[in-house]
Amino acid sequence: MKYKTQKIAIAYFAVALALFTVQVTLGLILGWIYVSPNFLSEILPFNIGRMLHTNSLVVWLLLGFFGAAYYLVPEESEREIHSTKLAYLQLIILVVGTAGVVVTYLFNLFDGNFLLGNEGREFIEQPRWVKAGIVVAALIFLYNISLTVLAGKKTAITNILLLGLWLLSLLFLFAFYNPANLALDKQYWWFIVHLWVEATWELVMASILAFLMLKLTGVDREVIEKWLYVIVATALFSGILGTGHHYYWIGTPGYWQWIGSIFSTLEIVPFFGMMAFAFVMVWKGRRDHPNKAAMLWALGCATLAFFGAGVWGFLHTLHGVNYYTHGTQITAAHGHLAFFGAYVSLNLAIISYAMPILRGRDPYNQVLNMASFWLMSGGMVFMTFTLTFAGTVQTHLQRVNGQAYMDVQDQLWIFYAMRFGSGVAVVLGALLFIYAMAFPRREVIEPGPAVAAE
Amino acid sequence: MTVTTAWALLIALSAASTLLAASGLQGAAFTVAVLVLAGWKSRLILGRYLGLAVAPVWQRGFDWILALVLILFAVLALAA
Amino acid sequence: MTAPTPTRPQDQPSVLDSLPGELMMWVLILSELAVFGAGLAAFLAVRITDPAGFAEAQTHLHRTGAGINTVVLVTSGWLAALAVQAAEAGRKVRLRGLLALASALGVVFLVLKGSEYADLARAGIGFETHAFFTFSYLLTGFHAAHVIAGILLLGLVGALATPRAVETGAAFWHMVDLVWVLLFPVVYLL
Ligand code: HEM
Ligand SMILES: [Fe+2]
Repeated sequence: MKYKTQKIAIAYFAVALALFTVQVTLGLILGWIYVSPNFLSEILPFNIGRMLHTNSLVVWLLLGFFGAAYYLVPEESEREIHSTKLAYLQLIILVVGTAGVVVTYLFNLFDGNFLLGNEGREFIEQPRWVKAGIVVAALIFLYNISLTVLAGKKTAITNILLLGLWLLSLLFLFAFYNPANLALDKQYWWFIVHLWVEATWELVMASILAFLMLKLTGVDREVIEKWLYVIVATALFSGILGTGHHYYWIGTPGYWQWIGSIFSTLEIVPFFGMMAFAFVMVWKGRRDHPNKAAMLWALGCATLAFFGAGVWGFLHTLHGVNYYTHGTQITAAHGHLAFFGAYVSLNLAIISYAMPILRGRDPYNQVLNMASFWLMSGGMVFMTFTLTFAGTVQTHLQRVNGQAYMDVQDQLWIFYAMRFGSGVAVVLGALLFIYAMAFPRREVIEPGPAVAAE
Repeated sequence: MTVTTAWALLIALSAASTLLAASGLQGAAFTVAVLVLAGWKSRLILGRYLGLAVAPVWQRGFDWILALVLILFAVLALAA
Repeated sequence: MTAPTPTRPQDQPSVLDSLPGELMMWVLILSELAVFGAGLAAFLAVRITDPAGFAEAQTHLHRTGAGINTVVLVTSGWLAALAVQAAEAGRKVRLRGLLALASALGVVFLVLKGSEYADLARAGIGFETHAFFTFSYLLTGFHAAHVIAGILLLGLVGALATPRAVETGAAFWHMVDLVWVLLFPVVYLL
């Protein structure tokens, strides 16, 4: 660790990982409700559990991004973070907001209250006071990071990271605009949901991956920057109008079917680009970095993002296909592998890289970490397949043959049972990852001949 | 070839497209002729205006892309 | 850090270096070609389902005006290409004059295009009138938006007047040109 303010990242990563456990545990409960629908129906109705599952996911991913920024910006800008106090204040605000959200959802408090009540829009259900808190926290963060970058060296990596974080924060402002017209509500809602994961977060992803490649492979910065710019350009080019793939059936004009189909198909390009980037850098790299676990997560991230977002996204993105698959388990299959591949793995990659350095614990605890990679990734891939099969059967029975929703669900039981099994593997993997990061002081197996570390 | 020669050729090719359309020619011959003219014009713009003529590898790459796109157009157009 | 060994792949000159002009502009050109190529292919594919309807709808467009517009655009592209040469020769006044003329032809293009849209609107023809018009409005409208952006960009690079800026602006303009020569025959002639 070269700068002492990089330590801020530890707190962010720790809270992120704590929420990660909450998220996957809730996922397991939800998976069981699919198998046995009355499970906990009085205490934790499915809709509440689902809100907590998705909200905690998004919050911990963002906390991870913030942590990553606090870790890598000092190193890139060659400067300490502008204010440590503000960074911790930002974290406290976010933790309080998150706690508020959990309590509000769980006990269904203040229903209908303008300021305190749950807003009821998928993913952005948070009560208004929490949303305001999120904006304040984001402003503190942007202020703190931007000042650091402005005062120090500017690199392509920090430029793109900042661009992504600024844009995603600005887009969040649409959470305050809730038109009464349901079609308009959905139209703006996707400005957050879609333009986050398929535009602005991609910028964050590309820049963090670029940072990891720079450190892990030792390839020249100019080469990495060229890739970074191309990836970012294609991501924005395709992703912005790609929003059209959510405008097929919400009451927007018909031409969106063509805009959405064409542009969102091109969204595969940046994800393919990131995968090609990661592998080409490793192939070109002249450094054999000892942190094999971080490398595994980085390569796994690029690969699974390509499959989850790119391939599984394309699978149902053409309007002719989406007409049948819209809102089925196909969507769930895609959503799971895309989020895991792109953003969960990305966070776990930067955490795997940064934590040992932050805690002064080389050699790394990588055997357990790598085991957790295979457990989690294997679980997620298996889950994706079970949900894809479930979705295919569902689409056929429900959308083609016209059977009733619940009659079809009864026939999908076997897939849901298998999905629960894969969920168990993922939860175990997550716990193993956290254990590997937090506890062992020494490598669990004897290291081979050592190679100089960065 | 200078850009001015390229421009003159582009004008000539555009005139050819117009004549072709005015000639009343129809069917496959018309479709193919129109698309060939379009491909030729595109190639001139890429090679002379955008300067790919000095980068033969790229010129060849774009030739392939254009050819495949125009063949696809022709197949779809003739299927109608 | 150790000195790089010359046999490593990353030390060989990249094919990217032989590409004339700005790399990002080429990424954009390829992306636009992909979008318009896909749009035109989709247009032709949907046409298979209703050739007669498409043929009838096509008669409402201004075929002659579009033909003239081809000449307008390729001429404008030529002026932009000459402006790049002037920029490289350091002749600022000439370069600005050429770019102004190129932009003016861009405006001519938009005026002709606008008169077609106005006639269609007068006839009550909109996006939803027929699949043909959904595509023709989308494709030509999206292209026209690029013409507008191109005019603004030419103004900007004319003000900067550096060879690199002018080359990049002109490349965008040539892309607009390129898209039109592919779009025109498919939408207006076939
Ligand atoms: C990492 C990037 C991505 C993530 C995290 C992601 C995640 C999601 C999620 C969670 C949903 C469900 C939203 C809802 O209805 O509540 C969704 C829907 C969808 N995604 Fe993605 N996605 C990503 C990239 C992509 C890409 C690249 C494509 C296209 C190539 C795509 C195509 C779609 C489509 C078409 C839907 C709508 C499904 C439906 O109609 O039910 N996604 N995505
Ligand atoms: Fe999307």
